[in-house]
Amino acid sequence: MRDDTLTLLADAAAAFAKPDSRRIRALRGRPDGFDRAVWRGMAGQGWFSVTVPEDAGGLGLGLDAAATIATRLGYANYPEPFVAAAVLPTAVLARGDNPAPCAQLLAELCGGDRLVTVAWQDDAGALAAEATAVTEQDGVLAGHCRFVRVAAADVFIVAARGADGLALYAVERDRAGLAVERESAADGSASARLVLAGVAVGAADRLASPLCAPGALAHAADAAVLCTAAELVGIMERVLELTFEYLRTRKQFGKPIGAFQALQHRAVDIWIQKELSRAALDAALRRFAAAATARDRALAASSAKARAADAALRVCKEAVQLHGAIGFTDEYDLSLYFNRALVLCAWLGNAAAHRRRYGDLSAVGDGLAAAAAEAA
Amino acid sequence: MTTRTSDYGVAQERDWNALPDNAFRQLVRAEFEAHYPAALRFPPGRLRWSRLSGWYLRMAGKGWIAPNWPAEYGGMGLSPAKLLIFIEEQERWGIARFQDHGVLMVGPVLQRFGSEEQRRRFLPHILSCRHIWCQGYSEPGAGSDLAGLSTRARREGDDYVIDGHKIWTTLAQDATHIFVLARTAPEAKKQEGISFLLVDLQQPGITIRPIRDMAGHEEFCEVFFDGARTPAANLVGEENRGWTIAKSLLTFERIFIGSPKLPEYGLAMLENLARARGVDSDPLFRDKFTQVRLDVLHLGDLYARFADTLVRGEPLGPDISMLKIWATETFQRIADLAIETAADCGGLSGDVAMGAASIDALSIFYKARVPTIYGGSNEIQRNILARQVLDLPS
Repeated sequence: MRDDTLTLLADAAAAFAKPDSRRIRALRGRPDGFDRAVWRGMAGQGWFSVTVPEDAGGLGLGLDAAATIATRLGYANYPEPFVAAAVLPTAVLARGDNPAPCAQLLAELCGGDRLVTVAWQDDAGALAAEATAVTEQDGVLAGHCRFVRVAAADVFIVAARGADGLALYAVERDRAGLAVERESAADGSASARLVLAGVAVGAADRLASPLCAPGALAHAADAAVLCTAAELVGIMERVLELTFEYLRTRKQFGKPIGAFQALQHRAVDIWIQKELSRAALDAALRRFAAAATARDRALAASSAKARAADAALRVCKEAVQLHGAIGFTDEYDLSLYFNRALVLCAWLGNAAAHRRRYGDLSAVGDGLAAAAAEAA
Repeated sequence: MTTRTSDYGVAQERDWNALPDNAFRQLVRAEFEAHYPAALRFPPGRLRWSRLSGWYLRMAGKGWIAPNWPAEYGGMGLSPAKLLIFIEEQERWGIARFQDHGVLMVGPVLQRFGSEEQRRRFLPHILSCRHIWCQGYSEPGAGSDLAGLSTRARREGDDYVIDGHKIWTTLAQDATHIFVLARTAPEAKKQEGISFLLVDLQQPGITIRPIRDMAGHEEFCEVFFDGARTPAANLVGEENRGWTIAKSLLTFERIFIGSPKLPEYGLAMLENLARARGVDSDPLFRDKFTQVRLDVLHLGDLYARFADTLVRGEPLGPDISMLKIWATETFQRIADLAIETAADCGGLSGDVAMGAASIDALSIFYKARVPTIYGGSNEIQRNILARQVLDLPS
């Protein structure tokens, strides 16, 4: 995508989403965990359809547009679930092969009227669609999904394995047989565990058949992984701002603590982690856009999340240490970013999981074999 | 195709910048692959001029010795984009550097700060490799605090007379000349009394003593000045303005210390090592390997960002220091993993039999020690970033 489009989008996002810790604090622990009015405002910006193809009524931009928005929302610590309830479900809906219900749900989602998310992970949090713990038999869904980041969703798109393979079904939250259990997350939001005890689904509920469901879900999951890395980059940017400002102003032994070399070098090291995560993210977005296969998309997503999750935890932990005791208080805003980072680092695979996935997808030496042969 | 003339060296056979990037890359690669001696690829340490002269005299004959100089001075006149390609191809093929401070430093300094007389006197000999230059910067008492140097140069008639002691001078054994930072105004503030002098090494007042390093190599030297003389005509720029000249160097070159090529080579070696030891599918090794592999991947992504800046024709900022830190410390992590993976073989030096292969694991471990120290230690780089980029107080 053209850089100036992204710059305009970044400017618009910065104007819309400003850090406002009072608002964030007030929303913690509330049933939705975020503000539906703000959500509709985000819809009004056209953000939910940035990656939706133009012929489906979207803007048809690349994933870097969604990542630009996610970065800013991370910076402003927005609890509104842009990645889980926009990036993830729109990527699925744009690839479903049941056109009428997909189009309708996509329109309702993009307008901000209905909150939609995707549910497929098992109790262990496996990222692969094939690991779903929900089955479909004769039009009835049974099983469970966990780590559903939008407990308040109006519609869950559930991955289920049936006689003919993996398919995706739309399940409204009030559908008989569906129970939404809540687990509280570190940032004050709720994560849902869905228990499907005989949920009847019809042909109109089946959004994606086995012909396209695995591919659509894999694409969507990797897009969400990348945008989560982007959100973490935004979090790191803000945490570093808070930390450097503190180092410049907090005085001990008669001078600002940021004048001490021991602290300067630690500050530099976490800043490098953020810069590296940013470079890794930008490159991964380019690789994702150019990818010819699902494997290449997965490699791009995992490389970025492995880096960003590892870096964000380091940055946040070091930020607490550089602040001292104030950094560990709930009252100081660092706590909001720290807790959000904990949630996002773990969601859809932590750094170790993505390193493993990256390693498994690329056998040892893949891409290096040529260089090694040359060197021999 | 146009032939470009030069008063200083061999004419270039064409305007390289007019070629598409990929065509230029193929052309350079073909030359390297066809003619660079296979036995000299990826050497474990720096090689002496006696082993490299064949190759570099060939480069000089082709007019390829100074890819970074403008064509009017006898260089290849490459644009930043083409120069990056040229150097990437050198690194990719594992071509050993000779003592190239004449090309990298003296040439650019004379082109920018020197007189026409100095350019005519020195540039042709750099291009022909008749003069090999080394760098007289560090001293026993002036390492990271280079401006604290104490080598003195006093004017005596038409000469400067130099007394002092330089150290860590790379491959001075091979050099015919040295460029020296010397104090010409002892009473001035430390940065303001330093001059940049060009000195012939072949004279009685100079003694060179190689220093043996812990890997057993002799890559750097001490250089003693005991009443050494150089004509006043060899002062570059104005007297007492040498610090500005020294600081102006290392702008473009700073990106190369952050190139991913050496860590990529280390990874390939590590992978061969793991296979030879039969641990390449061990989960513990694989996690560690993937970690350094991602470190190298992202080093490449960071490098590309700075390379883009150069290709756009923009200057590099002080944030380039992060590239040096990440590149050199990533290389150290690879080296750490190499000797860990070598297990009991990690204490054996030289080419060591491992399974069916013969691998020198220690060489990269030694090699990884130095880049975090030279070119401004990584601690100095962190100081620069803290003050100039993060805007932390001093």
